[in-house]
Order: sequence, then C-alpha cells, then structure tokens
Amino acid sequence: MFKKVLIANRGEIACRVASTLHELGLRSVAVYSEADRGALHTRIADEAFALGPAEPRASYLDGGKLIEAARKSGAQAVHPGYGFLAENADFAAAVEAAGLTFIGPTADQIRAMGDKRAARALAAKAGVPVVPGAEAADLAALTRAAAKIGYPVMVKAALGGGGKGMRAVHDAGELAEAVESAQRVATAAFGDGTVYLEKCLERPRHVEVQVLGDGRGDAIHLFERECSLQRRHQKVIEESPSPAVDEALRARMAAAAVALGRAVRYHGAGTVEFLLDRDGSFHFLEMNTRLQVEHPVTELVTGVDLVRQQLVVAAEGALPFTQDQVRARGHAIEARVYAEDPAREFLPQSGELARLRWPHGAFVRVDRGVEEGDRVTVHYDPLLAKIIAYGPDRATALQRLTGALDEARVHGVVTNLPFLRALLRDGAVRQGAFDTEWIGREFLAGFTALATAPAPELAVAAVALAEMLGLAQGAAPASGNGAPASAPDPFVTLGHWRHPGLG
Amino acid sequence: MQGAYRDGARVRAVEVTSEGGGRFRVVVDGAELQLTAEPLEAGRLRIVTAEGVAIAEVTGAGNRRFVRLGNLDFVLEREAGSRRRASQADGGLEAPMPGVVTRVLAAAGDAVKKGQALVALEAMKMEHLIRAPRTGRVKRVNAKVGEMVQGGTALVELEAEAAG
Repeated sequence: MFKKVLIANRGEIACRVASTLHELGLRSVAVYSEADRGALHTRIADEAFALGPAEPRASYLDGGKLIEAARKSGAQAVHPGYGFLAENADFAAAVEAAGLTFIGPTADQIRAMGDKRAARALAAKAGVPVVPGAEAADLAALTRAAAKIGYPVMVKAALGGGGKGMRAVHDAGELAEAVESAQRVATAAFGDGTVYLEKCLERPRHVEVQVLGDGRGDAIHLFERECSLQRRHQKVIEESPSPAVDEALRARMAAAAVALGRAVRYHGAGTVEFLLDRDGSFHFLEMNTRLQVEHPVTELVTGVDLVRQQLVVAAEGALPFTQDQVRARGHAIEARVYAEDPAREFLPQSGELARLRWPHGAFVRVDRGVEEGDRVTVHYDPLLAKIIAYGPDRATALQRLTGALDEARVHGVVTNLPFLRALLRDGAVRQGAFDTEWIGREFLAGFTALATAPAPELAVAAVALAEMLGLAQGAAPASGNGAPASAPDPFVTLGHWRHPGLG
Repeated sequence: MQGAYRDGARVRAVEVTSEGGGRFRVVVDGAELQLTAEPLEAGRLRIVTAEGVAIAEVTGAGNRRFVRLGNLDFVLEREAGSRRRASQADGGLEAPMPGVVTRVLAAAGDAVKKGQALVALEAMKMEHLIRAPRTGRVKRVNAKVGEMVQGGTALVELEAEAAG
C-alpha cells in the first residue's frame, strides 16, 4: 500500500478521500488554488501545496503543477476525485510516466470511455444494449441523421460528461443552435467540439451500476443507484436501491455492467449508466471512469468503502472480495446541497457561510466541503455538501433525509435546501414515481411559485426585530456582491430605530 | 421606526414599535402583529404571537438577512439606496450571476436590436446570453472575454433612449 497520496481535487470529495487515507494510516496531500487558500480540504489534509490562480486551467486542471506537487510532497499516488482531471487520459498517463500511480483506470480505458461514441461501440460489442444514435461530421449531415432517428434527439459532446454540452432538441429548427452551443461548450470544457446525436427516450429513468474491476479481466458490481431526480441533466437526489428495479431486472443490469467491465479489463471503480425505458428495457448511456458524486449511497447499503477499494486495486491489482461477498441491505438516499438560488433559476451563489450547521442524525452522513466561516467563490462547482440518510427501507431513509435537511442551516449563501426539502415531501418522490424529466415537467413550476411567494409577515417581522435587538450581526458585506458599500444605511439614518428602552 | 426589505421581486415595508416588557407591535405591509420577542443566543429569537410560539434564527450577511422560521428559510435584503434602479434606468445590462465572460458580441457604438445577444457568460455548465432589452445603441461594454464577473456587474450600457 502507498504511504502518501496526493488528492488532485478540492471541496467535499477531497475531504472525503482524505478521510479514507487517514483511516488507513496513509498521509494525505491536498492542493489548492489561490481562491481555496485555507479551504477545508487543505485544513483536513496532512500537507497542502499551492497550485496557482483561481482559474481551473491554471490550478486544478494543470496536470504539470499537480505532478510537481506530488513529487515535492513525496506522494506515491494521485487520487483524482471526480471532475477536473479525473477523466483526463493524458493526465493519467502523465502521472504514470512520472513514476506515480494514478488511482483509477488506465489512460486507455479513460480515453475509450471518454469518447462517448467509442464507448457505445465497446458496449454494443460486449452485448450491452445502446440507445439508437448517429455521428456526423457537419450540421447538414447531423440534420439528416436527426430526421432519420426521429425527434426529439439529444445533442451530446463526444468527450462530454455530467451533462456538460448536452442539449435536447425537439425539432429541426432548434438543431443548429443546439449543435453550435454544444460544440462551443465542449471545446471550452474538453478541448474537442465533436458532438453526436442520440434518440431521446420518452420519460426514461436513470439507473446506474457501480462496478469494480481488477484490471486483469475480473469485475464485480455493487448494485445499482437510481439517479432519475435531475434538473437539466444534473442529478439532485440519488438512492440505492432503485424503486423501479426488481430482482430480475437488477440481475440483468448488473450482468450487463459486469460484462462491459470485464470486456475492457476495467481497473478500479467505475459506473455504467443506463437509461431505463418504461417498458423495462435498458440502454447503455455511458461509463464513468471515476468515483461518482453519488457513491455514498452505494457505500451505505453495501458497507463497502469505495475509495478504500480504489486504493487496494491501485496498489495491489486485485479485488479484495468476491461478488458473493457483496450484499446490499436497507436503503440510502443522498441530496446534493448546492450554493444556488432555486428562486432565481438556480443561479450559482457566492459569499461567506456566516452560519452553518450540518445535521447530526444517527443514520445521517454528511460529506461536506465547507464549514462555518468559509467562503463560497464563483470559480468552481457550487456543491457544498451531500447529505445522505440510511434506513432499513425506503420510507425510513426518506423520513431521515427529510429530517436531516430540515435540521441543516446554511445562512450567508443562498442554497437549494428549500428545493430539496420540497422535493422530498412530494408525493411522486415518496412513491418513487418519477423519471429524468419529472422535475422540470411536473415539479419545478409549482415549486418556483412557492419559492417566489412573499415571505410570511412573521419572517419579515423576525428580521426587523432581530435587527432592532442587535442580533443579526453577521458577515461583513462581501466585496463585489452587488451591495453598494457607500449606500446610506436606512437603519443608521433612521436613528430612532433602536428603541431607548432597549438600551 | 420603519424599514424596508427586498423580498424577491417585492419590497416589504415594516414598522416596529416597542411597547415595553418585550412586547412589540409590528406592522408588515399594513398588517399588524402583536407579539413578544425574547432574544436567545446567537441570532435566535423566541417570538410569541396570538397563534403560538416560533423560534426565528436570523443571520446577517452584507445587506442580506437570512431567516429561519419553523422549518422554512427566507432571505430578505435590506433596501439600501436607489443605485441599482438608477443603473437599470441608464440601460445597464447586469450579469445575472457570477460567471466567466465567454463571448463579447457587441462594441461601443453598435446599433442593436431588442433581443440581440450582447455578451455570453458561462456559469457552471450553462451558457447564459445577455440580450438587449430594447433597440438602441451601445454606449459602453464593460466585459472582456475570460473575465470573471460578479452577479450584478453592469456588462453593457446602452445609450439613453431617444425621445419619440
């Protein structure tokens, strides 16, 4: 096993990886950009190395600087987390070329699965059903292909992932703009603007299977995760097991995922994503060659620490247990807490976390990237934490997660907590009756009306009272948050606001 | 003893009168509440109204006031002058959120049509187009490609609307 591991990431995932390293008695090395100086992940790690400016390209996406930091620190291995360089084949190759171990699949596997078209071909070859789709070089050819597949179609970046650059197109008139936009986003994000088309399944569910491979042709699965609760292709709530999957279907999906893992001699932890059609058929969507954001739900139902298994496979090239030894028990649900304003089209938010309290339930896990007093900047993904609840059954897990979200306090930065709380109380969510478009189609309008409704008079009164009683002291105005510093303060100019009797 | 808070698209007017002994008369948008308020620790307040007891937790952050009441959260913003409204009257086009300018599609002096895209911002995984709210002429562009901007930054200014 390694003695020291560099975590090439930030935020909650860097903190989460560090926890497993420490549990195993390994030293952890954090990296940070200027915007993350003093961030929680640098405080948790044993050592921290500065990378450079806030811009990801000059810090967390700069492979050379990361490898240099690993060398300087004496780390033997690099854990990429998710996002940033986690699925960058060149980075994985450069890490290995520098004599370090990349904790993840091989560069070739990342490359093959990262090219979504190549991945489709690999899946098909392994006997895994794929969504009907087409590739074409230019807009005219894409237009012909789309007509042949039949609208609606999905425009996807060949090197995309996590919904980036993905657009649904409902008729030919929208195609040109969608293709252009997807190409631009893909070029900026992945350095390659190639796009392809896939048929949009109607109201599908997103169900994915966690796999672990030893890199020598053996692979096992750790059951499925249900990730259909999405907003604009971004997962919001994930759970395991899926309420839509029965034993027979579970066995078929798991077998397909394992077949793909074996066919590519997959090395480490990966996820095979499927779209589950309403008729019970499922289609390969993509394989994510990294740890997923939602991996904790699998950890809670299986009792397997996935980061630990990643380390074991990377260090020893063997799976630490067999398929028969993996059992799933109970139910786990995760909610992603983002710094975004659900009343204003989920615009990312920044500021200082003036008051922050995460829940403390006995069956609640919080994977957090921030603590009270930390700043949320505009530079990176606005995920603050993941709150995950476990229960013997789905209803109990839901009840615990609802309670945990109610208990959470995040003041100073607007979050999506009200959205998550409302979502978990919805009848369809409680019944498990949703698909990947359900939030946008049936939930969002009602929620937005609620979120933009006037605050109750008592809430306004409470704020005014707290202010009058001198209780609302919080963070100083953030620089550049739009609050004009020189504006007259109505509570100062109205000097009699403070009642003499309150001294 | 009055103040005002922005609550989403609205402005909420509030007037508080202390009646001694922790009793207050609070008028919010003309609706009157009689209550007692007892400060607890750390921004918490115990409020008793005719309808019952509520614990409110209030946190200040700049001009914003975050309030938790029961199991609901609200964010109000102290009304602080008229600068924002003035900027909009000038035809200022503000970044709706923090992000990175990816494209600048207009320059000072350009004649633009209502709805025309002027600046593209990338925030997280989405591109957001800042469009002209009306037909007019660009007075100034305050955005550079690659620049990180905060929400509320005026990216483009249009010439004042010609009369008639």
